[in-house]
Amino acid sequence: MSGTPLIQVKNLQLYFGAFHALKNVSLDFNAGELIGLVGDNGAGKTTLIRVLCGIHKPTSGEVWFNGERVEKFHPKLAIDQGIETIQQSVGLCDNLSIARNFYLGREPVRRIFGIPILDFKKMREMSTRVIREFGLRDNVSADDEVERLSGGERQSVKIGRAVEFKNRVVIMDEPTNHLSVREREHVNELAVALKEQGLLVIYITHDIFQVHKLADRIIIMENGEKIEDAATSAMTADALEEVIRQGGRKVEKREAV
Amino acid sequence: MAAQGFKRLVRRHSEIGIFLIAGLLVVFFATSSDGRWANLYNFATILQVTATLGLMTLGVALVIGTGEIDISVGSTFGMGALVYLWLALRIDPAIAMLAAVTVGGLIGAFNGWLITKTGTPSLIITLGSLMIFRGIAIALTDGFSFSIPYAARGGFTYWLFGGGDILGFNTGLIWLLVSLVVLMILLRATPFGNRLLAVGGSAASAHSRGVRVDRIKFSAFVICGLLAGLAGGLEAGKLGFADGSMGRLMELQAIASCVLGGCLLAGGRVSLPGALMGAFVLSSIQSYLVVMGVRPQWFILTLGVIVVAAALGDRLLRQWAVKR
Amino acid sequence: MQTPLQALVRSQSFGAVIGVVLMLAVFSIVDFSGWWRSQTLANVAHFSAILGLVAMGQALVIITKEIDLSVGSVYGLTGVAFITFEPQYGVGGAIILALLIAALVGAVQGLLVVKGKLPSMIVTLGGLFAARGLIYVWTGGSVNNFSQAARINPLTRLFGGELFGIEAAIFWMIGLCIALNIMLWGTRFGNRLLATGGAQDSAESRGVRSDHVKIATFTLCALLAGFAGIVTLADKPQTHVTLGDLMELEAIAAAVIGGCLLSGGRGSLVGAVLGAFIITSFRYELIALGAPSSWFITFVGVVLIVAVIFNQSLARRAGHSV
Repeated sequence: MSGTPLIQVKNLQLYFGAFHALKNVSLDFNAGELIGLVGDNGAGKTTLIRVLCGIHKPTSGEVWFNGERVEKFHPKLAIDQGIETIQQSVGLCDNLSIARNFYLGREPVRRIFGIPILDFKKMREMSTRVIREFGLRDNVSADDEVERLSGGERQSVKIGRAVEFKNRVVIMDEPTNHLSVREREHVNELAVALKEQGLLVIYITHDIFQVHKLADRIIIMENGEKIEDAATSAMTADALEEVIRQGGRKVEKREAV
Repeated sequence: MAAQGFKRLVRRHSEIGIFLIAGLLVVFFATSSDGRWANLYNFATILQVTATLGLMTLGVALVIGTGEIDISVGSTFGMGALVYLWLALRIDPAIAMLAAVTVGGLIGAFNGWLITKTGTPSLIITLGSLMIFRGIAIALTDGFSFSIPYAARGGFTYWLFGGGDILGFNTGLIWLLVSLVVLMILLRATPFGNRLLAVGGSAASAHSRGVRVDRIKFSAFVICGLLAGLAGGLEAGKLGFADGSMGRLMELQAIASCVLGGCLLAGGRVSLPGALMGAFVLSSIQSYLVVMGVRPQWFILTLGVIVVAAALGDRLLRQWAVKR
Repeated sequence: MQTPLQALVRSQSFGAVIGVVLMLAVFSIVDFSGWWRSQTLANVAHFSAILGLVAMGQALVIITKEIDLSVGSVYGLTGVAFITFEPQYGVGGAIILALLIAALVGAVQGLLVVKGKLPSMIVTLGGLFAARGLIYVWTGGSVNNFSQAARINPLTRLFGGELFGIEAAIFWMIGLCIALNIMLWGTRFGNRLLATGGAQDSAESRGVRSDHVKIATFTLCALLAGFAGIVTLADKPQTHVTLGDLMELEAIAAAVIGGCLLSGGRGSLVGAVLGAFIITSFRYELIALGAPSSWFITFVGVVLIVAVIFNQSLARRAGHSV
């Protein structure tokens, strides 16, 4: 890839109280790349992407987006910049309808006497189209509350929402959890398709073999640190798995001290 | 088949329970009171009480919608009443009301600012401000009451702010209806309302979608304070006097109304008409006990039992509805 | 190993300890009431003991991640029951019956919270109204006085008398504080109580019957509030239907000042007693200053807000997620 990286992370540190969640992480992400971010539970993958999408503010270190230093961290700013994230545990409010969730934070409005009134028609049409495309049950309508949806359907709504809005970065945190085999393939195809459209796709998983087939580059994290950053053409999935395993041993030793 | 349809109705509309209760109570009160309860004069009284309690309830419902709670509204109401009456004696009631509403909004801002800046539980912060402003209210009045002489209770603006009737109903009712319509549009049909409910449903999810959770919560507290201040002013205008204890325990009635009306204390689900109906039910019971000559001591006991019974009944109804 | 000082700093009651030290320092310098006179201290200690009893119960409930708004009314109801039952059942019988009523109110509230799956705020709000209403309805607005014989009854003296010139209430409070601390930190029940408040799901997954724990805690809280009512009236057996009005606010304030976090699982009984001491001292000092009594309410509100923010930031600094 050429030119400046789309997202650049320099010496990122993050503490939660006394807990050191990210330890001096430096990374480059380029447009048009599909990157597999791999590591065991608690490795810091989710924490890292939560910094990128503005949920957490780093304790120290720099984040650069599109050649500019990011000064303020808030999901609103990240979304406005075109960073769309499919979070694992958050993203949908159970008490709201699919249509309302779909547009949460960027609701389309029509002004009536200057008062911004929600454009229900647009909200319903767009979200209905997406949920049909993603194969939700036929008896589910855009007006139904998310509470009614199964795990896979929720995931589909989140992915559909991320894809629908034209973006520059799509971050997927364990996107295939709760999905059937067929749905999983669909998501993986989508990830590749987005990359081919020139977007940066960051794909987070703990399954190295699954992502090795899709990704251009694999980044492995362990215990809050980056321990590997290699092109998939340079390392086999087995070799990468061995790295993860060794990282795991290193952690145990450190905890015993 | 009919039961199925009804189940769906209950699932969709959490306020069904309170409308049923209200309907049954109205029938019971009307048939068992020899016309002493169901007459226009008494209805007007009930609606006047509902108007002030209801305005406060609407504000509390919005705060509950964000998953927080405001138990300081009774004191805010008291401050609003005192400010209105003290100023109405000296300047035009319209400006006095503006001041009362502003004071309410400031108290709400005080609560909202502390809660969002420090991340402390709203129950404790608003408990603190309940005491702070109650103490100030009593201190301001020195234990006595303010009142407006009968001669001064005239003029259009005095009439407009609770000091008069229209078609036999207190003008406070107009303010309630206007507020209800405005807030229902705000809650159901604007981005702000969508975000408010999202914050209550899951603050983390709303945050991850770029909603500024703190701003939404802060605004809800401010609106709640504004409405409580307005309600206090209207009540003072109606009575023509105010003392330091005005609005005491009303915060509890307002919260009870919200719960009766199908608002989930955990946040994310509120019904403004339901909450209002809750306020109507509480005022109706109070009035029934009065017209039936029951000693007022019973009111507080019945209130306690009804709050719990209604919360339980509402829960059972909903459980029944989600069962297939 | 932690030194005792480190342990104190990390404990939940650290904020309250600082508060007490500061307050004593201020009252020593700016002294309007003759703060260090034995009469002043005896009075403050007496009322702190009574509020401390109620606050300890509240602290236990808050540790299970619930709240009890009814304690003021239960305090009043039990006290009124004690006085009203006395002519018929004697002092001993009246105490037992009154405490039974308190326990019943607590158990019913606990049951409704646990089995009815209702928020404790609503249930105990109902309890606040219902118990207060019961006082009004039962007494018709006026409460009888104790007979002369009942006043000198040894049982009355046991709860309301003095020993070496110190009010019995203080001994009771200290005794119960020690017993409850042993219960909370040294018994299975205490461990389960802490677990229920800290992480109910995890506690249940380990076989803890969190529903039983909560019912027991609500009952215990009501019993403590009721006992405080009896101790109060055994000392001065005349009262009014408003006995204990707003006491729930003071009790919650005391527990919160003492380091109880509403997020559950953390709290301190000693802290709650210190919180009660702070509140009572301020009341005394403000009255001595000649300030209108209403300023006291304002003051408690300010102290409550400052304390909760301070305690929370202390807990965050210690690395707890709250």
